[in-house]
Amino acid sequence: MQTLAVLMAGGAGTRLTVLSDKRSKPAVPFAGKYRIIDFTLSNCVNSGIYDVAVLTQYRPHSLNTHIGIGKPWDLDRQRGGVHLRQPYQGSSADLDWYRGTADAVYRNLDFIQEKNPDLVLILSGDHIYKMDYRPMLTYHREKGADLTVGVMEVPLEETDRFGIMTVNRNMRITEFHEKPKERDKGTLASMGIYIFDTDILVQRLSEGRPESPRIDFGKDVIPSMIAQDKVYAYPFEGYWVDVGTIQSFWETNLALSGADDGNTLKLHDPDWVIHTRSEERPPVKLGPQAQVINSLISNGCVIRGRVENSVLSPGVYVSPGAVVRDSVLINDTWIGPGAIIDRAIIDENVVIGAGTKLGYGEDMTPNQAMPDRLNTGITVVGSGAHIPGGLTIGRNVLINCDRLESDFPGAEIPSGETV
Amino acid sequence: MNTLVMVMAGGASEDLSVLTAVRAEPAIPFGGKFRIIDFPLSNCVNSDLFNVALLTQYMPRSLNDHVGVGKPWDLDRSVGGVRLFQPYLGPGQSGWQRGTADAVRYNLDFMEEQRVDTVLILAGDHIYKMDYRPMLNFHQQMRADATLAVRRVSPFETHRFGIVSVDGERRVTGFKEKPRRSRETLASMGIYVFRAEALKEILADQTLNDFGRDVLPAILHTHKVGAYTFEGYWADVGTLQAYWESNMALLAETPALDLYDSQWIIHTRSEEQPPVQIGPNAWVGGNLLSNGCIIEGVVERSVLSPGVRVAAGAAVRDSVIMNDTVIEANAKVERAIIDKEVQIGEGAEICYGVDNVPNRHFPERLNTGLSVVGKRARIPAGVRIGHNAIINPGVDESHFNADFVPSGEMV
Repeated sequence: MQTLAVLMAGGAGTRLTVLSDKRSKPAVPFAGKYRIIDFTLSNCVNSGIYDVAVLTQYRPHSLNTHIGIGKPWDLDRQRGGVHLRQPYQGSSADLDWYRGTADAVYRNLDFIQEKNPDLVLILSGDHIYKMDYRPMLTYHREKGADLTVGVMEVPLEETDRFGIMTVNRNMRITEFHEKPKERDKGTLASMGIYIFDTDILVQRLSEGRPESPRIDFGKDVIPSMIAQDKVYAYPFEGYWVDVGTIQSFWETNLALSGADDGNTLKLHDPDWVIHTRSEERPPVKLGPQAQVINSLISNGCVIRGRVENSVLSPGVYVSPGAVVRDSVLINDTWIGPGAIIDRAIIDENVVIGAGTKLGYGEDMTPNQAMPDRLNTGITVVGSGAHIPGGLTIGRNVLINCDRLESDFPGAEIPSGETV
Repeated sequence: MNTLVMVMAGGASEDLSVLTAVRAEPAIPFGGKFRIIDFPLSNCVNSDLFNVALLTQYMPRSLNDHVGVGKPWDLDRSVGGVRLFQPYLGPGQSGWQRGTADAVRYNLDFMEEQRVDTVLILAGDHIYKMDYRPMLNFHQQMRADATLAVRRVSPFETHRFGIVSVDGERRVTGFKEKPRRSRETLASMGIYVFRAEALKEILADQTLNDFGRDVLPAILHTHKVGAYTFEGYWADVGTLQAYWESNMALLAETPALDLYDSQWIIHTRSEEQPPVQIGPNAWVGGNLLSNGCIIEGVVERSVLSPGVRVAAGAAVRDSVIMNDTVIEANAKVERAIIDKEVQIGEGAEICYGVDNVPNRHFPERLNTGLSVVGKRARIPAGVRIGHNAIINPGVDESHFNADFVPSGEMV
């Protein structure tokens, strides 16, 4: 049984605001030294799937550099291995960009047919979870299914974020609603994990017409297949998070810094190693003045201040007298002496000047430019920004990438502002 | 100039006690995630020297695993790269290698095959960052047959080194191996550059087995030997005390050996391990902690290799702890070197008490208060161990007769 995994890694991840300004969502750093896509890629190789295509479209450079020839995942292989597929121009029909997940796969059908696998496993490159795909593949075969959809129970109040389905006694899907507004469709949500028989996939994707398009798996393909094909749901139980929003990105990171209460992702698991491309960095250095509790600290960090409930990526420097609390700091960020960082996500190569207070005060005014994305009190700083010393910055503030010291108007930036 | 590097990695280094009972000295972990051999190997590639032979003899397996095909150093190459050489049998070669020069003699055929004109000979057990290129230039400009790297040492330390005297042209005029007293303070660092032809001709004399002891004194007056002065951090970590001190020196605010230098990266084979996890009640000040460590207790002024776990209530101070060792709840470890995969049981104490009796079996090796624990030893719960104690690799409950091991004992 030959399986080809196809990872959807082309999304813009706009809800992550500045974190995905310069990179696609799967390439966003997560849990210190990892990137979001490491979890799905590691699931593939830990499940014995060594033939993986990664479909990119939005800002792929960071992802290309990270994956390279796939060495960290042992995906640099003679047969199979990892293939990074970019959109390309072909006949007149292919002049457009990918319009959705199914469209992206459709444009790569020639590649899939050349590989000629029995099954195609379609995965999303932006979820955090550990899953062995082999039981699901076995399930697909035992059911004699044309399509199997990975599903899990979600709380009723979140059903409007997912594709929700109804199944019969045999787990055959009878109804599928993409992000239903009413909360009466049940709580079985699609995880964006699909197993297709290759022949069916080719046939169904080729059937697209302007009046019945085949652009998105959740919106078009699955609903149209339920009536005519054997479509089954495979229930997954375990940790699974879509870190698509600033709030969930922050929460999921911080959950890793705390003690293992059984509900979080276990990173220290020798039987299910999450592989990543690691830069060569020395061990964490903690100065004699350093105080660190409840945190995840990566290689190459130098800490001389206080760090609480935070996740630090490689190479972060925390100066003496600085305090970092409830925050996510990404690679090589420099926190100046006496700076106080509270509830923030700070992207790579940021400089925070001495004495600056970031995430200050009780004022929880949502961000004025994007009130729907930044409203839980988290302040976000884009990569390469230089924040001058002595500043007071409120909550729900957005500082864009590469802002220079001269871009800051005064000594105070109130909650909800954007720089 | 076409240079072949030969790294001496075969010595037994008995002074390192239980650390070298299970591996060759160059394979000993250092500075948390590194191994001693990473320093000379990284120096080579950072100096653009990509043709390296590692000469092994004593317990090479750990070293073989670590170096592998040389990927972490970009030494997996089709031209050059790293090769691991073992002693072998052949016509006229029946014994083990009797010293550094003998080891090179065994591999002269390889040197000739490589068509090199210069051979750089390094020790695999020194900690330093050095660009070898200026030394190779010096050697060439001087048109020397051999050049040795030297550095100034304190007059009280001359008995540990080969001491050289030089003339105004930087030519070596005298050499004394480990003199008890010396007016000169220029010490040889065990780094030699040879003209390949000269090396071949010198090693034809089968009585010369060791570079320091035999070769240098013999060639001083027959060949042109230069002395290249190196200024910078250099440590021979050949004793337990020196090994511990060099590790502790990394904890200084601005250490003499800067591991964070992006212009001179020390490469190593890293296991894939998650970031360091520091728990809610942990207390960590002044440490070097590697990936995969989980700290719930107190760790102060210590160097921890990847995967070490310190349980809640446990305390580790002034110690070097290697990979995957577990310190259980309420255990106390002070001034100790603890090898890989050791288990320190609940409430056990290492370096208990104040008496500093030197080790009974090896008083010359262990007399400064450090205790050492060998690989995979299991210290039962509640056992107290004094200073200068040696716990051998692999011992378990059955080897401990009482729950107190006084200072200077060995288990």
